[in-house]
Amino acid sequence: MIINTILLYVDPGSGSYLVQVIIAAVLGALFYFKNIWWQIKAFFTRKKEQPPKNDTTND
Amino acid sequence: MTNVARHPASFKDPAGFIFEANGKIYRQVNKIYGHQYQYLMDSGLYDQLTKNNQLIQHTRVNENLTGDEEWLLTLLPEQLSFISYPYEWCFDQLKDAALHTLSVLRTSLDKGMILKDATPFNIQYINGKPLFIDTLSFDRYDETQPWVAYRQFCETFLFPLYLEHYLKIDCIKWLSNYIHGIPVEVTAKLLPWKSKWSLGVRLHVLLQNNIRRRKTSHSVQPVFSKKKLLNLVTHLESIIRPLSSGYPTVSTWSNYYDETILGKEYLNQKEIILKKFLGTITYKSVLDLGANDGYFSQLLAKNSKMVLAIDSDSRCINNLYQLLKREQLTNIVPLIIDFSNPSPAIGFSNTERSSFGQRVKADLVLALALIHHLVISKNIPLPDLAEYFAGMAPQLIIEFVPKEDEKVKQLLSGRADVFTYDVNSFEAHFSRYYTVQAKELIPGTNRILYCLVRK
Repeated sequence: MIINTILLYVDPGSGSYLVQVIIAAVLGALFYFKNIWWQIKAFFTRKKEQPPKNDTTND
Repeated sequence: MTNVARHPASFKDPAGFIFEANGKIYRQVNKIYGHQYQYLMDSGLYDQLTKNNQLIQHTRVNENLTGDEEWLLTLLPEQLSFISYPYEWCFDQLKDAALHTLSVLRTSLDKGMILKDATPFNIQYINGKPLFIDTLSFDRYDETQPWVAYRQFCETFLFPLYLEHYLKIDCIKWLSNYIHGIPVEVTAKLLPWKSKWSLGVRLHVLLQNNIRRRKTSHSVQPVFSKKKLLNLVTHLESIIRPLSSGYPTVSTWSNYYDETILGKEYLNQKEIILKKFLGTITYKSVLDLGANDGYFSQLLAKNSKMVLAIDSDSRCINNLYQLLKREQLTNIVPLIIDFSNPSPAIGFSNTERSSFGQRVKADLVLALALIHHLVISKNIPLPDLAEYFAGMAPQLIIEFVPKEDEKVKQLLSGRADVFTYDVNSFEAHFSRYYTVQAKELIPGTNRILYCLVRK
């Protein structure tokens, strides 16, 4: 893609790109662990709900 | 450029500029922005944003009105009757403007574009809601690049919000000094110790400040991705949403009418007389000075196109903004402005952002229970006030509060009475500029309501 740099008239600021890279990495890791946590939580909540289901199938 | 002059605030972006011609505001698109403008229109981004009332609408005018060699297109945007500046907004106005900017950015990313700038000066409050007014802020999105306007967004939106949230004092008005945003080093120094527990403060303020101090070179361009940028936008939204103004629950003026010694009967009587006066004059736009909780602004809004409700008390204006939002009253614009020190003309050559007086055009000024504060608390002489009021609008409804009034006695207690302030001098000075169309004593008080028409 051709980006016309003349139009990027705003100074991004010293180190602003690096900040975004670090923040994105921190957020990526946070969201990753959050997902794992939700999966674990979902696994246990599903397990709790499962027994009645099994009971009905056994019947 | 031959026939018309560029707007004094519209000089930064080479993509185009705003100008005034034939009494209308136009936007010129320069040749250099042709590809981006075409993409904005063809991608469906313009349609989607305008359909959702997020971006200002425009029509195309097939004429080079400026005679400029760089001319590609002329746009006629929806005409705005009043422009307010972020340093006149309350906390929730700046917060909603920040979330609006992020929402426009999110929609743009979906359509392959990005915001190349992110300043609250690109937002105006129209019909009670934030509206993005810069049609030339959109650029093609390169997924490998971070957001060029990230620092600008932080310094003009996030940092003032953080400062006001944590310090619990009016920090948004500092944007009139820091016109390009409150720098990260200032924000990092001012934020209290307890704020450093916040992940948002750690990442967007402290980390940014540390990296800035190391003066990182731009020669190595880090590779970014759309997912990373969306994570950043989501995070900014999630830290801004829970922020709240630190205004005290009760401020000097927030319960003025509830607590007034004169009580509800006084308000009812005043409303009856005011309605009588309003029936005798015509007005479309009103400036309500010292609007407080906006009770009388709402009364006037029923028969006018726009009411500017100004008050120096940030708590009152924030409450009024929330009320107007809830009740969907769209023709009242609440702003934090101290009438004894209204916004000056600032920016490059002192013309980039015009003064409050230059921007306001009202048919009627309402100044209820205000004049004693201006004369006695602010030491503004009556003749100066009369002249200033007369320059603002052709009609004035003003309440005169004499020295015998309890509120004035409170103002004078503990200080020398050096004021030539009585009903005779009031009438003498104001009648130099106005004809008294009606005057009436508010029953149960010694306050007088005047309906004045400029000579």
